[in-house]
Amino acid sequence: MPIVEIKNISKSFGAVKAVDDASFNIEQGELFGLLGPNGAGKTTAIRCMLDIFKPDAGRVSILGGDMSEDKKDRIGYMPEDRGLYQDITLERCLNYLGSLKGLSPAEVRQSSQDYLKRFDLEAHKTKKVKELSKGMQQKAQIIATLLHKPDLLIVDEPFSGLDPVNSQLVKDLLREQHEQGVTLVLCSHQMNLVEELCDRIVLIDHGRVVLYGTLDEIRSRFSGHAVIVQTRDELPELAGVERVEPVNGSFKLNLAPGIEAQEVLQALVTRNVTLQGFRISVPTLDEIFIRVVKRESDGEGGAA
Amino acid sequence: MIKTWRIALHEYQRHVFTRRFLVGLFSVPFLMTIMVGVVFLLISMENKTRAVGYVDRSGLLSNPLPAPTVSPPNKPIEILAYPDEEAARAALQADTIQAYYLLPDDYLSTGKLKVVHVSDLKPQARSQFFDFLAVNLLAGVDGRVSGRILEGDEILIQALDGSREISSETGWVGLFVPILAALGFVVAMFTAGGYLMQAVVEEKENRTMEVILTSGSPNQFMTGKILADMSIGLTQIFAWLVFIIIGFKVAAVNFELLQSFQISPQIVLLAVAILLPSFVMVSACMALIGATVSEAREGQQMIGLISLPIWIPYMLIGLIMQNPNSPLTVGMSLFPLTSALTMLIRQGVTIIPNWQIALSSFILVLSAAGAIWLAGRAFRLGMLRYGKRLAWREIFTRMGASA
Repeated sequence: MPIVEIKNISKSFGAVKAVDDASFNIEQGELFGLLGPNGAGKTTAIRCMLDIFKPDAGRVSILGGDMSEDKKDRIGYMPEDRGLYQDITLERCLNYLGSLKGLSPAEVRQSSQDYLKRFDLEAHKTKKVKELSKGMQQKAQIIATLLHKPDLLIVDEPFSGLDPVNSQLVKDLLREQHEQGVTLVLCSHQMNLVEELCDRIVLIDHGRVVLYGTLDEIRSRFSGHAVIVQTRDELPELAGVERVEPVNGSFKLNLAPGIEAQEVLQALVTRNVTLQGFRISVPTLDEIFIRVVKRESDGEGGAA
Repeated sequence: MIKTWRIALHEYQRHVFTRRFLVGLFSVPFLMTIMVGVVFLLISMENKTRAVGYVDRSGLLSNPLPAPTVSPPNKPIEILAYPDEEAARAALQADTIQAYYLLPDDYLSTGKLKVVHVSDLKPQARSQFFDFLAVNLLAGVDGRVSGRILEGDEILIQALDGSREISSETGWVGLFVPILAALGFVVAMFTAGGYLMQAVVEEKENRTMEVILTSGSPNQFMTGKILADMSIGLTQIFAWLVFIIIGFKVAAVNFELLQSFQISPQIVLLAVAILLPSFVMVSACMALIGATVSEAREGQQMIGLISLPIWIPYMLIGLIMQNPNSPLTVGMSLFPLTSALTMLIRQGVTIIPNWQIALSSFILVLSAAGAIWLAGRAFRLGMLRYGKRLAWREIFTRMGASA
């Protein structure tokens, strides 16, 4: 049973339709990616999901029904626009935010202590939040989201402002939460990270769902009839190859209809081309994203 | 409910345990102490301690009774007799005395006397010499009668139903105290309300609002903040009351009229029935402003829309005191934004009918409830509009629509 069900929700602000008849489900325990270009309606969809906004139409079911005050204690939400009290100490800020999630003072102290140690922020807990660096504030925000051990974790751009070491720390943490059975919704435009972490995704553009499914399904749906060849030799002319494009030090060979990759490989070996790599061309999520968004803006709409 | 209390506690601690709040808290009694000190100093300076002389040709003061004692902060002025005007004039020129009085032969029949001074004769010197004269003029009269004449009349004004009595001697204290209380109340109300407004704007500015609202409802958030706001205001009022009570106790040792001062039951009734809902209403209005504006400075400007009508009774204080039961005054007692101050000012000069207190309280409770509802509404509509102002029209026009 899905942990979140979004059914045909729409939300407008004046003449602007932020979300337009969007539907998707998030399954229990999965790591789900919510993607979209800036202003696509991702944040509005999340706010509708969290009952911050009421949708104009459609229905949201979260943790098995409508949002309630008790359910809020089972959800961790880290918004894109960071929300920490700047003029109080880090420790006090975390204790307060944790206490609002139903933790007792002792529980919240223990939990924040553990995470502060893990995120290497213990030495900074008595500093005011505004005195912390951007990266530290980002880590503090992640701690505030995890303090109460939520069942559903919604994180909006969790890697922004983090250096590679801390990005890896957050990635490991998200994976760990996933392994512990926590359902994760990762909202990001960093496609490589989504590709690395998520099982399924939804891509929203102009408020509408334009891509939805597992990553493998989507990749295969967008994979062209091409192979990637990596070699230092000059590529000979090959029968059945319509076009050759250089791609990051390799060559992308677009095949004519009816030509199999195996035939091209055989031809290359026969022509004594020294191969360093040979693989079927599968588009990256980045490429799919650009292609879909471009198609949408060109007016060829419709969910893929 | 526990989240509401946690929000309230957090807000309270966040604002009260700050240098800014503590400075504000102690600066008021500190400034009041300074002001009282300056007044005492001025009175003391008025009392030129140099003696006053007299030359008596009438025989009234040939064997004079001593001048009556004076009460602080006034100081007794020495009164010296001179055998003739030349001696008195010499003392005046030598600056031994600040003035001398000449009582002519026919003083007892005419009541006319002459005073000679170089610089201005201070009122206290004049007053103490006339008291000295009065004591001696009444020397042969029965002690109780002379005492009565010297102390003057104390007129007691009593309500027809006997519910209230004001003395002409101490009545001004009864008038002054509610006005002072009203002043303190309004200052505390706006200080705490200002914190509330600022906190809401800050939470919008630093995006904390979004995190908070996924932990609790807008109503819990609003209620918690208003509870904190009231607690902050009450902390201020309580602290000031402690200072005032200490001040009264200290002053009452020297000032007899303060010893008889008592808080009337009507002031207590007004505090509960009028001031409390006023406070809640203003707090909700502050939250409403915080939810609609995009930055604190804009909010400060909008506070004027509320503070101006609240201060109107002070501007019309003379009118209210002269006509405490006029239709205008009664109307101001019933209008939510002006009722708190109007009622407190009227309390000092009239007996406010109970129906007016009850009606005003009822209107205030309704207004407070309405303001909380509107603030909650504005909160939901305006909380996530970063950097954008919520139009007041939207709050009303979108009442039926979902946020």
